[in-house]
Amino acid sequence: MANLSMSERILIPTYGDPEQIQAGEVVFDDEKCSGCTLCAQACPAKAIVMEDKRPQLKPRGQNECISCGDCVAICPEAAITLTKGYHYTAYYKTIDHGDIQPPRL
Amino acid sequence: MAEMATKAARAEAMERMEKEWTEMERVILSRRSVRLYKKEQVPEFMVKRILEAGRFAPSAGNSQPWKFVVLRDPEIIDGITETVVETCKKFRAVLEYRRPGASWRRPLTKAFIRLRHNDLHPVPFGAIGMIADGKLGLWHSAPTVIMIFKDVRGVSNPDLDCGIAGQNMVLAAHSMGLGTCWVGFAKLAFEYTDKWKKRLGIEFPYKYASSLSVGWPIGNPDGMVGRQTHPVDWYENGTKKTIY
Repeated sequence: MANLSMSERILIPTYGDPEQIQAGEVVFDDEKCSGCTLCAQACPAKAIVMEDKRPQLKPRGQNECISCGDCVAICPEAAITLTKGYHYTAYYKTIDHGDIQPPRL
Repeated sequence: MAEMATKAARAEAMERMEKEWTEMERVILSRRSVRLYKKEQVPEFMVKRILEAGRFAPSAGNSQPWKFVVLRDPEIIDGITETVVETCKKFRAVLEYRRPGASWRRPLTKAFIRLRHNDLHPVPFGAIGMIADGKLGLWHSAPTVIMIFKDVRGVSNPDLDCGIAGQNMVLAAHSMGLGTCWVGFAKLAFEYTDKWKKRLGIEFPYKYASSLSVGWPIGNPDGMVGRQTHPVDWYENGTKKTIY
């Protein structure tokens, strides 16, 4: 079985279309969050916006999270969890990833 | 007798490793790319120690096909940043098809993306817009930058050797409590214009490979986080298994 079909080898997905470009996802624990904004500042994709002193991801289609985990690591309250990696289609199709795991012993 | 002792030592080391990360593993697994830096400069001796970690990296045929350039003059760092911002603005003007009235550009842009499929992957494509808008800095206001140029005459794959040397430097820096970030976008100031090559005296056989921002982090950005697992095919005893 080929990793990519012939059309997938050629076609470029439409950037900005959430069906073709699926961003990563993190979830915020609003109870633990102190509203310090470090996560929003650290995010390389500027995918986190502060709303009512609490962080949230930009809406689908605008969220360009690359699931790097920088927000998770910098959060002093351990209030952020990475739940989804990013997945693209067509030429940039994710071929095979397992689930999200922390470093394992 | 000596062999027995070695065996016992090995068993002990294995048992210890099963239980806890080594110092090296801890640095590797906790390292995060740092993009928030304090203004305070990194002491010169620390940068020199980081460069030593790069100097002792393995390379094909021990060819050491790299040239490191340390930038600590704001005038140069800001100047290169400005060139990259201007270049990103030009790229965006030509390529961006998501704004109103620009959808006719889509097929042209897609053809161009396919040709430059590494530079215009969705992630850097998004970053081009953010850099053009000043929302994403090039070196994130880090006070020290280490540029890595490759010697194109190196054995086999000089880019790879530069990457190995660079990662040695990154890990050394994080082990000292510094933050670093790999910055590939500086390429735009060395690929499409001669200005900065001339200014820094970069000529044949040296060519841009990558760059690192180095500085004191704001907050505690390093830490272990989750990440996708990848399939690893494992061949042993005549069979194949796949582990994640």
